[in-house]
Amino acid sequence: MDLDALTGCLASSACLVTQTTSGFIIGMLLFLVAVGLTLIFGVLKVVNFSHGAFYMFGAYFAMTAYQFSGSFALAMLCGAAGTAILGLIFERVFMSRVYGADVLMQLLVCYAFVLIFDDVVRMIWGPEFKSMGMPAAFQVVPLFIAGGVVPPYYLLLIGVALAAAMILGLGLARTRIGKVIRAAAHNPGMVSALGINTGLIYGGVFALGGMLAGLAGALAAPVRSLTPGMGFSVLIESFIVTVIGGMGSILGALIGALLIGMIRSFGSLGFPLFTEGLMYLFMVIVLVSRPTGLFGKEVA
Amino acid sequence: MTELQAEQGAQALEVSHEAKTRRNRDALIALAVFVLLALLPAVFSSKLLLDFVIRCAAYGLFATSLNLLVGYTGLISFGHGMFFGLGAYGFGLMMQKTGVPVPVAFVATLAITFVVALVIGAICVRLKEIYFAFVTLAFQMLIHSTILSWVSLTGGDQGLRGGIPRPPFLGIDLSNQLHLYVASCALLVIGLFLMHRIAQSPFGYTLRMIRDNATRASFIGIDVWRAKLTIFVLAALFASTGGIIMALFVSGAYPEFAYWTISGEGIFINMLGGVTTFLGPMVGTVLLLILNDTVTRLTDYHGLVLGIVILFFAIGLRKGLMDFVVEWYAQRRNGDGERR
Amino acid sequence: MLEIRSLSKSFGGVKATDNVTLDFADGSLTAVIGPNGAGKSTFFNLITGALTPDAGQILLNGLDLAGRTPPEIVRHGIGRAFQVASIFPSLTVQETMLAAVCADQRKASVLHRRFPLAETRDRAEHAMELLGLANKRNRTAATLSHGDQKLLDIALALVLDPKVLLLDEPTAGMGTEERWRMIEKVRELWETQKITVVFIEHDMDIVFKIAPEIVVLCYGRILATGKPDAIRRNEAVIEAYLGTEHHAGITV
Repeated sequence: MDLDALTGCLASSACLVTQTTSGFIIGMLLFLVAVGLTLIFGVLKVVNFSHGAFYMFGAYFAMTAYQFSGSFALAMLCGAAGTAILGLIFERVFMSRVYGADVLMQLLVCYAFVLIFDDVVRMIWGPEFKSMGMPAAFQVVPLFIAGGVVPPYYLLLIGVALAAAMILGLGLARTRIGKVIRAAAHNPGMVSALGINTGLIYGGVFALGGMLAGLAGALAAPVRSLTPGMGFSVLIESFIVTVIGGMGSILGALIGALLIGMIRSFGSLGFPLFTEGLMYLFMVIVLVSRPTGLFGKEVA
Repeated sequence: MTELQAEQGAQALEVSHEAKTRRNRDALIALAVFVLLALLPAVFSSKLLLDFVIRCAAYGLFATSLNLLVGYTGLISFGHGMFFGLGAYGFGLMMQKTGVPVPVAFVATLAITFVVALVIGAICVRLKEIYFAFVTLAFQMLIHSTILSWVSLTGGDQGLRGGIPRPPFLGIDLSNQLHLYVASCALLVIGLFLMHRIAQSPFGYTLRMIRDNATRASFIGIDVWRAKLTIFVLAALFASTGGIIMALFVSGAYPEFAYWTISGEGIFINMLGGVTTFLGPMVGTVLLLILNDTVTRLTDYHGLVLGIVILFFAIGLRKGLMDFVVEWYAQRRNGDGERR
Repeated sequence: MLEIRSLSKSFGGVKATDNVTLDFADGSLTAVIGPNGAGKSTFFNLITGALTPDAGQILLNGLDLAGRTPPEIVRHGIGRAFQVASIFPSLTVQETMLAAVCADQRKASVLHRRFPLAETRDRAEHAMELLGLANKRNRTAATLSHGDQKLLDIALALVLDPKVLLLDEPTAGMGTEERWRMIEKVRELWETQKITVVFIEHDMDIVFKIAPEIVVLCYGRILATGKPDAIRRNEAVIEAYLGTEHHAGITV
């Protein structure tokens, strides 16, 4: 434990800015993964245990696209679109077969794919650590805000993630498709009785969730190292986020992700050995006091 | 079809001293199995075979204890492996740091497991099924990350190295492979016998009621939370015993023992063998270990092959092997299919 | 004696049970009726601990049970059966009964003995005989007919030797003939077991023929209580049924 480092940081504006930015980065990436998880759970009532794999694929797709084209925008696009297609196929071919089966079967199918996807990545990209490198456009002098160092790429990352959150929130609230998705979450039987193809919605939601996780992976690729299995710890953390925020709540996922981001960022100063432990501790406190999460509704 | 039915056939109630003779019979079977296993080295002197049986004992205890949760109580724990890891590390550390006799370390490790399981269980067993699965998984990851980051105690990602001292006690020398083999078999048989007794006890039927319909169980006066917590802790003790056998076998402990994949494998073993019979997980353990060994020999992409096998079972068959055996047996016994 | 005193429960402003005060004398047979949404099931859920009352008392022989958990309330002698048969699908009829007696004898967590316990046998046997399930003892509950599942649900409540038995629509989902058989069974149990029985019922023919006492609930309040003849002539009751519901059950 190193409380001096923590209090020292809290007293210095430079450190405060640096740590807060890093907390935002962690939080926004987690949010993109967690919001897909929570959306899929909300509509399909399935916890996609293999969701971390989409994050991983997003990163690898982006890296490959960047190496071939040198275009950062194209890399992001490939990361997001590639995982969207992957999500669609995954849902239609495999997950759709275990709806209605018990949770054990759903978990097993996802478990199988965690193993398969990790090995597929090892086959294609190799087992060693890879890195995409920071795109040239962002290799500029970092910004100094109140004495703290903030790389411009961080701002882009936060901006893109926030934009995705806004588009998603507005899309679900205002558009027709959004309404259908929300209706499907409440009453799938009714939606299909109205002549709407629920299979299409389910596939679409999975594709959307996969796309968001893939986008997170693509955004993370320049700042994180890539390795098979990189998705799993992200999956666990985003699950913790959804537990804290409440399963099925997008706002909850955002707040939960930011909380976890800050806990990780500041916790690594004060409790370097117990940073992850802090996260779990926080989850336990929330679970014990509010079993359905901060923004979760009791599902009857 | 439940085991009680299988034994009773279509007869009326015959409770009285019938139960006692059945229990004696179970004890005799357990003893016979142990003697057979213990005599095995006299017939096949292959070291590989003995190693295989020791690993079966470790994973078998773990998987069967998981079935007490998954199959009997309907609690799908995705973090049961944490107790396997806790057993291995607890025992290994105890032997390395304190130098107490083996039996003392064994009991002390179980005591630690008891306390940890009680705390984690008290938090988890209130949660609904998918939450329960993932929060147990989260605790598993917490224990795993603690092992990785607490390098001074656990050796971090290198694991407990330098071997675990195994001083002889009561004439048993666990550093001798044959002694370790016999001890593992004894622990396995005793563990299975005890778990079978739990499953067949009134408490075992309380668990079945909770699995089937927890609300109704509470309306006939059962304290569901307490019963779930009790079986969570009991299952943890057996999983921990499996971990202790593993630590003795490899003379060390590695972070993989506490990693979530152990829990995943445990769930898959249960699926593979079938959760509707007591011995299903044991059958699943033997199958998975054979499968693992074969696949590891043939390819580097062990997860890919294993994943496809899991998919085949989960999507294709939707049942474990022992489930098929039981169904086939039931159909043969009474073709009318009245009692399913 | 089961006395309900000023029992209240609301859900987000809707008063599902509104200041209900009622007495159920020992050995009485009472039907609870009321239009859909009258709060009948909520009333049962409050008494049995499935819901916690906002206010009021539930006195069983003077002991207040309000706010206690279902297992505690069951142990004090209030048993219940459910509108949708609530059973243990994978257990046989016999196992269900034996396990329930086990729970009643506080032996649900016994580890060192083998199921079934000899001392649970007679009571389990008796309950199966009472409800005519003895010849189906080895059938798993899931394979029973709808009517038998309802009987098993009642048997589960009865095998615990309750002082008060609450039956939530024992005839739900049954054809006319089966309904009458079921309600005759309920009446027979009441007569032979000498326990207090309260049941919810929609079929007015059944209610007026069978129940010596009737309680009418409407919007969470007690509209009327009394003998069938008095209820039949009660203006408020007729108004509630004819005014708000298309229920043609009341034909005087």
